[in-house]
Amino acid sequence: MIVFLTRRFAFFILSVLATSGLIFLLVRLLGGSPASVLLGEFSTPEDVLALEKQLGLHRPLVVQYGEWMSEIARGDFGTSFYSGIELEALLKSALPVSVSLSVGALLVGLLIGIPFGIASALRSFEGKGASVDFISQIGIALPIFWSGAVLSLIFGVRLGWFPTGGWVPWSDDPAATLRHLVLPSVTLGIGIGSVLSRFIRTAIVEVMRQDFVRTGRAFGMSVQESLFVVGLRNAALPVVTVLGNLVSHLVGGTVLTETLFSMPGLSRMILGAVVGRDIFVVQNLVMLLILYVLVVNLIVDVSYYLLDKRLRV
Amino acid sequence: MKTRNLTLNIWTGGSITTFFILCSATSLLWTPFDPNYVDTTKISLGFGESGHLLGTDVVGRDLLSGLLTGARMSVFLGCVTAAISVVLGTLFAFIAVGISPWVDEVVMRLLDVLMAVPGVIIALVVATVSGPSAMSTVIVLSVFFAPVIARVVRSATLPILNEDFVQSARIYGRGTFFVLFRHVLPNIFSILVVQFSLYTANAVLAESGLSYLGVGISRPQISWGTLLKEAQETVGPTTGLMLWPATVILVFVLGMNLLGDGLRDVFDPRSTGKRS
Repeated sequence: MIVFLTRRFAFFILSVLATSGLIFLLVRLLGGSPASVLLGEFSTPEDVLALEKQLGLHRPLVVQYGEWMSEIARGDFGTSFYSGIELEALLKSALPVSVSLSVGALLVGLLIGIPFGIASALRSFEGKGASVDFISQIGIALPIFWSGAVLSLIFGVRLGWFPTGGWVPWSDDPAATLRHLVLPSVTLGIGIGSVLSRFIRTAIVEVMRQDFVRTGRAFGMSVQESLFVVGLRNAALPVVTVLGNLVSHLVGGTVLTETLFSMPGLSRMILGAVVGRDIFVVQNLVMLLILYVLVVNLIVDVSYYLLDKRLRV
Repeated sequence: MKTRNLTLNIWTGGSITTFFILCSATSLLWTPFDPNYVDTTKISLGFGESGHLLGTDVVGRDLLSGLLTGARMSVFLGCVTAAISVVLGTLFAFIAVGISPWVDEVVMRLLDVLMAVPGVIIALVVATVSGPSAMSTVIVLSVFFAPVIARVVRSATLPILNEDFVQSARIYGRGTFFVLFRHVLPNIFSILVVQFSLYTANAVLAESGLSYLGVGISRPQISWGTLLKEAQETVGPTTGLMLWPATVILVFVLGMNLLGDGLRDVFDPRSTGKRS
């Protein structure tokens, strides 16, 4: 147990170092000096040098990296170069939007994925998995901007049930917030549900091939009975690991979904900074997102280990 | 039942893919209008009005011409990205299994790290620093696709390394990399073809997402994502300007996925025909 946890934690630290190092080097080395990126094309070399001095960019890379890491560790995300606004203040308004969307999408994903996965596994035992498979195939191929646009057109414009964009803070009117969340969550949740249903299907099929299930069947259990009595319980574990993979998918999808539905979340902050080439804001926000993905993966792996008693023998 | 499904996948996927390749080729020689030509007398035309089959955008640019030209860019970038990813992935896998178990462990752990990071997010950093371009899009996407392919290639390579003919080549004195490229590569080639077609679909999807966010392709170059971005910025997502490019992307991605699945079934009769 100690060995597993140490290994997993060492891998987490390695991931943080590798990704932060990658981002750090991309920002410092790819486009020339970050100071010249900030000042734009028409800056004089003197201005660039002065700004480099002011921002401490003339110091050795190792020193800069160490300072950046300690800032991140202290939760200090710096200020915008152009507006001078502290990122923390912006994050306070943007984070609830992105988090609500992720949770909503995950819920929709589970609601779609679990029944579809089970149905598909059941049907594959009856030799007709094709139709459900084809649906999940479409669900995976479905681009967010297609499903989002079509859902908005049908449920937002034609039927007028839900708003097609924008955001109302939870503190103002929770009912309105929920209504604003429906279409984006479903849009993002469809893709997640499709991926999930495939994993659930595979996990169940694997379990149902095991000897103990076959023995149960030989003693007269029906397919449905064996599925619900032993199949699901044993298939639940592999599915937990998928949730870790899905988080990365979720973060990428959130950026697109927030843009599509004009939601003032994290991605609007990041994209604003990208367009304005506010280089250190992008650096810090991206690091924040990646930390989030890595931490969730860590939690998922550790809980998987704690849940599966077989691994601890 | 089984065989009919197989051929159906390949036929549908193949004809969709061929159709898009033909469209791309056509756009090299001819498009109904110049896709970048602004005609303020013909703004926001609807379906089929005054010779514009799919209408025009808010500054009078022809949508069909945009889609045809976009097909060229999107399909081309998709194929290039997929090709680079497959080559990189194969190299990573060969390096991992070829040198020593220790290198294998290190390479696979590094690839694990890359797999945990959303590529779209790193693409945003690259776009900020070096400006959005087709080149940076292709590079970033390839770097993030390669690890997944490397795992597939690695797990396909390991059993082949234990085959008798490989063992005898080794006893004969062939070096590890000679064996990998001369004996293993031809045997996993079909897997690489399948990965190529699946990742072409992924790359087109990812590229259009990036262009949609404004960090990929922008005018005068046009990809399907560029059209999506313009639609989002001008008339909103619930109009034909958005739905046409989005539908085209959907059909292409579906076609490539069907083709990939179909090819997998043909090359590997043991597979059940379903991805897991």
